[in-house]
Amino acid sequence: MESRRRLRGARVVYTLLVLLFLGMVNLVSALSVTVNDLECVYEYVLYEGDTVSGNFVVVDHDIFWGSDHPGIDFTVTSPAGNVVNSLKGTSGDKFEFKAPSSGMYKFCFHNPHSTPESVSFYIHVGHIPTEHDLAKDEHLDPINVKIAELRESLESVTAEQKYLKAREARHRHTNESTRKRVIFYTVGEYIMLALASSLQVVYIRRLFGKTVAYNRV
Amino acid sequence: MKLVEAAAVILVAFVVAPAVRGLWVDLPSTGTKCVSEELHNHVVVLGDYHSFFGQNDDVNYTVSPSISVKVTSPYGNNLYHQEKVSYGQFSFTATETGSYTACFTVDGEQHGGKTVTVGIDWKTGISAKDWDSVAKKEKIEGLELELKKLEGIVQAIRDNMNYMMSREMDMREVSETANSRVARFSIMSLGICIVTSVSQSLYLRRYFRKKKLI
Repeated sequence: MESRRRLRGARVVYTLLVLLFLGMVNLVSALSVTVNDLECVYEYVLYEGDTVSGNFVVVDHDIFWGSDHPGIDFTVTSPAGNVVNSLKGTSGDKFEFKAPSSGMYKFCFHNPHSTPESVSFYIHVGHIPTEHDLAKDEHLDPINVKIAELRESLESVTAEQKYLKAREARHRHTNESTRKRVIFYTVGEYIMLALASSLQVVYIRRLFGKTVAYNRV
Repeated sequence: MKLVEAAAVILVAFVVAPAVRGLWVDLPSTGTKCVSEELHNHVVVLGDYHSFFGQNDDVNYTVSPSISVKVTSPYGNNLYHQEKVSYGQFSFTATETGSYTACFTVDGEQHGGKTVTVGIDWKTGISAKDWDSVAKKEKIEGLELELKKLEGIVQAIRDNMNYMMSREMDMREVSETANSRVARFSIMSLGICIVTSVSQSLYLRRYFRKKKLI
């Protein structure tokens, strides 16, 4: 009698726990930071073997020539101190890796140039319940696993959408800059042309005005 | 018993140390660190922040340094402003499309050489939805609640998709006007070049004729 009650109690706790995990391990963060030289953000990974996925896009782009700024460097450091993932000189990319251990992971953006850039990033830590989460005498309910997998797939779609949104923002900045350049530079070009030709005329007038008059007499 | 203990420990960890959730950002000793996100209209934002010293300086999180927080809308309106706090929560609904910024500044110089870290839990849209109240209102729980959450996520994906399509349409118009402008201005520039050179030549010919050189 006593043992059956205890077992039922444990089962209730187990269901609540799994549902708590399903609700709580949905760690997402999507933000923009301005990177002057080095910016690091930290994200906590609860379980070893979790898939950490995400993307980042360099959004603010006030540079003059596109080739001047090759992009920023991105590094992921595990809590043990070794570099898990590294991308160099990119203006935006997706990343995904399996966490080798649980703990605090460091995601660093390094800007090799002096102009500050704004980086929009998204980090998601996904967990699928496995046998290792439970005590030895509990069974893994397959429906919980399926729901977790479904949620992870939907999260990957959301991540993709956030990436597209950030890229679209960057594209919009480029478009605005193009529009401004078209107007500003062409009007400037007309003015310069008119100025250059009038200067030419004035110069030739002066040239012939002084010398020929001398020779004429 | 072991399971109950493990559950208790994890629950306590999640409740007592909210810094475990969300992102951690280091604050510079002087100056402000800002994080922002571009949002469109009617998006609900829920933010939790908690300041502490990093693990190197304060292993047991005993001291909470005071910081000041400021959340501004894209047009500069102040949405939330608190000074000399170490944790708190803010929430707002986006009324304008643009970049919403949350800025954190360290108060004063009393921290010596230690780095102040802020744990930010920034949730927008479907992640900010209060599922507990939905569960209570509709009296669903467990598996049904999880499926309802998934349904919410799918709806959010669809809404996002529609929004992206309308943005793409706007951008396409801007691109096409820029394209036609480039063509028009280049032809005009060619025209101006020809006009300038012709008027130059005519003027100089008249000038030389007047000076009796030709």
